[in-house]
Amino acid sequence: MAEHPPAPCVDDHCITCGDEGVAMRVVAVDESRGLALCEEAEGSRSTVEIGLVDAAPGDRLLVHAGTALVRLEAAA
Amino acid sequence: MKYVDEYRDAGLGRALAGEILATVESGRHYKVMEVCGGHTHSIYKYGVDDLLPENVELVHGPGCPVCVIPMGRVDDGIAIAHQPGVIFACFGDMMRVPGSEGTLLDAKAEGADVRMVYSPLDALRLAKQNPDREVVFFAIGFETTAPSTALTLKRAKAEGVPNFSCVCNHVTIVPPLRALLESPDLRLDGFIGPGHVSTVVGARPFNFIPADYGRPVVVAGFEPLDILQAIHMILVQLREGRCEVENQYKRVVPWEGNMKALQVMSEVFELRPHFEWRGLGFISQSALRLSDAYADFDAEQRFSTPGVRVADPKACQCGEVLKGVIKPWECKVFGTACTPEHAIGTCMVSPEGACAAYYNYGRFARERAVV
Repeated sequence: MAEHPPAPCVDDHCITCGDEGVAMRVVAVDESRGLALCEEAEGSRSTVEIGLVDAAPGDRLLVHAGTALVRLEAAA
Repeated sequence: MKYVDEYRDAGLGRALAGEILATVESGRHYKVMEVCGGHTHSIYKYGVDDLLPENVELVHGPGCPVCVIPMGRVDDGIAIAHQPGVIFACFGDMMRVPGSEGTLLDAKAEGADVRMVYSPLDALRLAKQNPDREVVFFAIGFETTAPSTALTLKRAKAEGVPNFSCVCNHVTIVPPLRALLESPDLRLDGFIGPGHVSTVVGARPFNFIPADYGRPVVVAGFEPLDILQAIHMILVQLREGRCEVENQYKRVVPWEGNMKALQVMSEVFELRPHFEWRGLGFISQSALRLSDAYADFDAEQRFSTPGVRVADPKACQCGEVLKGVIKPWECKVFGTACTPEHAIGTCMVSPEGACAAYYNYGRFARERAVV
């Protein structure tokens, strides 16, 4: 049986589109694997690639498609 | 929320709208293109265009990754998805993009193992969890998502994951902008530059727009006040006779971009000689493919694909929408045969697509205006 198509996104960001930038806070860093556990503002957590930024717990990152592109506090 | 609430303040928005009104010259019509689909989404969601003077027109650009995928590439993905033993992984929006004979979601209904992932890393995890299956990731997007794919491919190579491969559809932002500026269809006065692409490439690559075409560019954030301020900055440049690249989004975008991301992209990818863009046709050196060092992970070499160019449906006017020649509601099938639930064209699929953004938000304001 066919699944229903993913609903069109109407919220602040689209959970199904990897091209959406999401601000996340670093909870824990696994330096040996270049990964971090990160948390969105509403509390959902996911694993994020941090190979492109210097990240430490507490930092806020802009994440696209599971990869941190910039450390937000550092950019200004 | 920090960095969000202060950029949605209604009072500040009205004040900025007043400054914009005071900056424009009466009798002159301004056309400003927002390059990125994320800006298009915000403009309609927050009604930014309602705050602008009548002689400031926003033109929606080609910066929505799903919208610019041509039908032939979707057909190639579906052909791979139907091959025995394949798990085909892609972002959710991509599943609803129509090819010539249906979508990846239709292929899933017919038995293909198509799975939605949130990142390339999720697809690699699928490959490690299913060593007896071939996991193919359908990579799309501009320079915002390309580093993610590149890092995942580096990880796959380092960890030796032989059953992982990638259909690379990554595109780059500068060539389509140059193509639009060369187009006789369209005369633009300035550009709102893509905020998150610029976190990777920086603001410098847009220098050719003022240098070669005499148009200002302001790289902007995605909150309503960001967009209003960027429009104001463009109008001020025009009024003062200046023409340069400015960065409104300094809190996120470093001028030089992310050198680590650019380095990993140059290691994993190389430029394709040509790539077809939906609505824009073939553009030279506008897309990426895997470099020779990563050829083992190239799904286009691992699997046979039709590789056929497929023309868009005649009723679909996504091409004109992507070039900003027509507004979404001027398309013949907008909101009738083509809706987010049953999209004919790509611009109606992604929430960043101009048609979907307008369908979800803007049409109500227009209906009110008509009443």
